[in-house]
Amino acid sequence: MTPDHDPNQSLDEIDGLGVFQVYTGAGTGSGFLIDQRHLLTNCHVVAPYRQVAVEMRDRTRIMGTVRRLHPYRDLAIVELAHAVNEEVLTLGDGSALRPKQSVHILGFPVGLPLSLTEGVISHAHQLLDEQHYVQTDAAINPGNSGGPILDDQRQIIAVTTCKLTSADSVGFGIPVEDVRRFIDDFRAQKSKFGVQCPACEELIGDALRYCPSCGTDLEAYHEFAEFFDEPDPHPLVNFVESALAKANVDPVLARHGNHNWSFHSGSAPIKVWCCCSEHLNFSSPLAQTGSKGLDQLFQFLLSADHAPFCFDMNGSTIRLNLVVHISDVFASAEHPELAARVTQFVAKANASDNLLIDCYGCSPAPETQTDFLNSPAHQ
Amino acid sequence: MSITSLRCPAPIRRRLPVAPRDYDLRDRAITAFEQQDFASSIQLALQYLLPEISIPDLAAEPLLIVQGSARVRVHIDAGSLAISAVLAELQSGSAATAALRYYLTRLSATGQLFQPRLRGAVLSLEFRDQLGLMHPLKLIEVLQRLPMEADANDGWMVERFHVSTPDREPVATLAEPEFDQAWAIWNDHWSAMNELLLESRRRRSVRFLDTLGSLAANHIRYLLPLFGPVRADLNESAETFTDNEEHPNKRDSSLAKCIKSMSKVSQEQLRNCLGHASYAINPLQEGTPSLISSMLSGNRMQSTGELRSAGRSLEAALELISDYVYLLAYHSWPAEIESTLRTGLEQASDKPWREAADLLWNHANSTVRSHGNDLDPSVAEESAEYSYDA
Repeated sequence: MTPDHDPNQSLDEIDGLGVFQVYTGAGTGSGFLIDQRHLLTNCHVVAPYRQVAVEMRDRTRIMGTVRRLHPYRDLAIVELAHAVNEEVLTLGDGSALRPKQSVHILGFPVGLPLSLTEGVISHAHQLLDEQHYVQTDAAINPGNSGGPILDDQRQIIAVTTCKLTSADSVGFGIPVEDVRRFIDDFRAQKSKFGVQCPACEELIGDALRYCPSCGTDLEAYHEFAEFFDEPDPHPLVNFVESALAKANVDPVLARHGNHNWSFHSGSAPIKVWCCCSEHLNFSSPLAQTGSKGLDQLFQFLLSADHAPFCFDMNGSTIRLNLVVHISDVFASAEHPELAARVTQFVAKANASDNLLIDCYGCSPAPETQTDFLNSPAHQ
Repeated sequence: MSITSLRCPAPIRRRLPVAPRDYDLRDRAITAFEQQDFASSIQLALQYLLPEISIPDLAAEPLLIVQGSARVRVHIDAGSLAISAVLAELQSGSAATAALRYYLTRLSATGQLFQPRLRGAVLSLEFRDQLGLMHPLKLIEVLQRLPMEADANDGWMVERFHVSTPDREPVATLAEPEFDQAWAIWNDHWSAMNELLLESRRRRSVRFLDTLGSLAANHIRYLLPLFGPVRADLNESAETFTDNEEHPNKRDSSLAKCIKSMSKVSQEQLRNCLGHASYAINPLQEGTPSLISSMLSGNRMQSTGELRSAGRSLEAALELISDYVYLLAYHSWPAEIESTLRTGLEQASDKPWREAADLLWNHANSTVRSHGNDLDPSVAEESAEYSYDA
């Protein structure tokens, strides 16, 4: 036990811990700091992306660059664009783990904010597909991948990696010994990026067919070459990300899984998604209605002047929307009018929440970045 | 069991003939669009959707189409195509706040290209975009959905929100003998539903409730040309009692409330909500052989067959009637198929449950043989699951 932490109190406050959500164009997962500049997560959370977004507790996102992958052991290290101050959790001792020992899993299940689930070790060295795992009955859900599994002393004893979907309460973590070795190897790494051979664990810096050290056919394990290339983007992704770039939104930081993006324009949260095969939606939940002057507010929201944008209400939350038909995205390679529309939408969302709050008695929506509401740039 | 049969009379609602789509026109519209011949592209897309209407030069004069009680205008103005339909005009002293909130929560939405827009006191459903962004598939989607939405939000808003409807197409009320028939159908239907609700409560079966809910809403929609407040109230209740995701108790209670309120509709109220409207675009989906197969064969029918062989004739008959009604209520068919489906219902009408189930079972098998197609049973099941909720 570390002297600073009372085991009964140690996980009462989890927000200060260095565990963050990782976003790519394929999905989201969890990761934890191994020092102020580096985050450890699962390989399957980040690959094949080399640039990922890491969300801080205040919902701002910073860029992460993938530095090392171990596809077979499902580990990855991401270098953050700048140092962060949250607490770095220490690696524990995996040799003394025993069944029924309590475990605490930190992560972002199904995209929810940082959450803690608890359970016990079901098997300390479970053999599965020729590798050892720490098996637990603690709840593991999509989004937990890459998060730490802690003991009562708040030390990392494993890294969440997967669960059996055909069974209840059978989850697995990568043992801390493997994690420690992976980190030690990374500390000694000279190259900017490398992928470990699944057989001999030699670091490989190029998209090779055979491991230069042990001769293993790398393609037999994974589609190895793909770890060295960003995925070929879908035309829809190309359109959205180039339009966001023109609106001064970093598209990598905005990625939120497959064909989903989320970001803030000043104070306004904006989500982009496909609801079906025909529509690409941009929507910003801006504010919540007050109790007075609703006629005037509703008339303003329905005014024809807002076209091509529109307001709608989801319960009492007012949203600004833009709907793009997919045929427009595929109609031509260049979309200057549509891209300009996206830029206008981003600017209008940022301006509209203040207007609704100041002129129509609304209150900020739950996801509004209230710190930015009255910033000079926002005005 | 107090109810021993179900009446399936001939519908008062007029048959909407199938106008087979000329897909070549649509493909030519796409080609014209890709060649940046936007005017031709729009003309061809409109001809595809409205084969019986002469399309004017939209830059010179608007095209007016009537869809039920909605008047939809299509015109080209300043390099953009505009489509609009007036829904209502707000009146002083009207329930404007509730009306506006309804428009914002139910008519404005992501996932649709047209939106409600307020100009002065007049609220319309509108769509406008540059000709260069008017891909035929986009135009077709808007023209299929906007008029349908405008038609659905008809005179009921006058009653509910005290707004006026300045630009609606009047729907002629039924002639007296036709109305008498409709009134009898209306009363028979809700009286039967009330008795079947008791059966549903006695059996405490979600499957029975699924069938009954579907039948309660779809049979009367198929039989009568409803519009206005009565249709709106029925649709609103049906959203709950036909929702398979909703808790059975809530569905049961919603169905009971609906039966009660529909049974209380007066002759005058019903008279004002019945009429034969005309539709520029057939609001029904095109029926296909695979739909017949998916509804009347495969795992779905096997399951109904098991009820029949287990002597559960009431459930089997109701499921078969419900499937036939669904096929007829929401799809347009070539005359021969429509007549076949109607004959099946007529044969089962007023017959004891066992006889009705046997008749429809045999009729369904014969219909699939003559008008269905070969379908992978898993696909059939999937299609049936998907389409049954409509």
